[in-house]
Amino acid sequence: MKSLWVFHVNTGACNGCDIEILDVLIPYYDIERLGVKLVPTPRHAHALLVTGPLTRQAYHAAKMAYEAMPPKPRIVIAVGTCACSGGIFHDSYALRREYRESLEYPLKGGTSEFLPVHLYIPGCPPRPEEILYGIALLKNIVEKKVRGELFREGTFVLPRESFNAWVEVLLRARIRKELGYFDGYSLLRRFMELVESSESKEELEKLVEKTINDEGDSRLRYGLEKLYSYYLEVVRTYEGILAAKRALVGLPK
Amino acid sequence: MTKAYPFEPEEAPPEYRGIPRIDPVLCIGCGACANACPPNAILRIDDPENGTRRIVLDVGRCIRCARCEEVCPTGAVRLTAEFEAATDDRNDHVEIVELRLARCRGCGKYTCYTERQVEKVLSLIPRGILDFDRVREKLPLCSECKLKLTVLNATKFGEVEP
Repeated sequence: MKSLWVFHVNTGACNGCDIEILDVLIPYYDIERLGVKLVPTPRHAHALLVTGPLTRQAYHAAKMAYEAMPPKPRIVIAVGTCACSGGIFHDSYALRREYRESLEYPLKGGTSEFLPVHLYIPGCPPRPEEILYGIALLKNIVEKKVRGELFREGTFVLPRESFNAWVEVLLRARIRKELGYFDGYSLLRRFMELVESSESKEELEKLVEKTINDEGDSRLRYGLEKLYSYYLEVVRTYEGILAAKRALVGLPK
Repeated sequence: MTKAYPFEPEEAPPEYRGIPRIDPVLCIGCGACANACPPNAILRIDDPENGTRRIVLDVGRCIRCARCEEVCPTGAVRLTAEFEAATDDRNDHVEIVELRLARCRGCGKYTCYTERQVEKVLSLIPRGILDFDRVREKLPLCSECKLKLTVLNATKFGEVEP
């Protein structure tokens, strides 16, 4: 098939995917290079571009649009996570869906439950590039990149041991409150590498000072200072507990 | 100017929240991600007869909110910068990590946690604060055996250990 004329149906989407579809049509992405054209009636369309989790209200309209299409290619493209499998609305009362045990996979739901879908484009919403990629996949321009994977139990790595692992758990919760998970966890990983590479407290202090001076981002500098002060606090607490226990029980060493 | 995208490769920016991936080397199978996931894209499926636990990630249900990355205790779930997940077969979206369940010390049945979880918990205990050997003795126990041990310890209340 050389050019694909599509008809767009919104079956209860939040409009995010629809806006991305509009983005694909602008000159910057220009999906008309691939021969795709948006048509105003399903009678002219080769493909149905469906967004949304298929609400009960939209079901009949979607069915009518599907039946009005010419019978030959009748391609259905599900754009967005909702159309692929229900997404965040998978257990909504407003959807047309069947009751099922929730432990089947791949997970069912959304538009794909009632229409035979030829192409799934997940994403919430998918990037314009992702929609372009999907259309290109349909026209055999690019190759498929994802595939199902099953990992059985193999090698296992625990990043840290004993005391450092305990410290990391305590620091994680605090740095998440200060910086959030995205910057916080990567900063914590850097800090724990510093802790593991240094052998004494003085060396760690010098290393941390050097890292703080080299860091350009003031947020990360603040986070490092906080992490170091929390680390000292945790070490002090640990030594306090050890001393108290030694006094009580009479531990050796 | 128009992008040449499908004919030329394109990379997402580094902060982009793309397809999540589970690292099978780091995953301990605790199911924290399955708990946190708003659209139930991650499932935790136990099979107590064969002694396996499956963590099933369905990219086709994922909304890229990164809650799994936020709660993962070992950093196994990460959102990559990949975004090309379009496919014609939904089975391509499913990623499964299969782990072994730990056996109970008392009765030999499978417990409700994995061997890796036991290792992780043991690695967390700082030396000197807790009695390491006693914790090690108790750890891989199923709920019934734990109950029995609790009752046994309760009947011993008041006795002085030698």
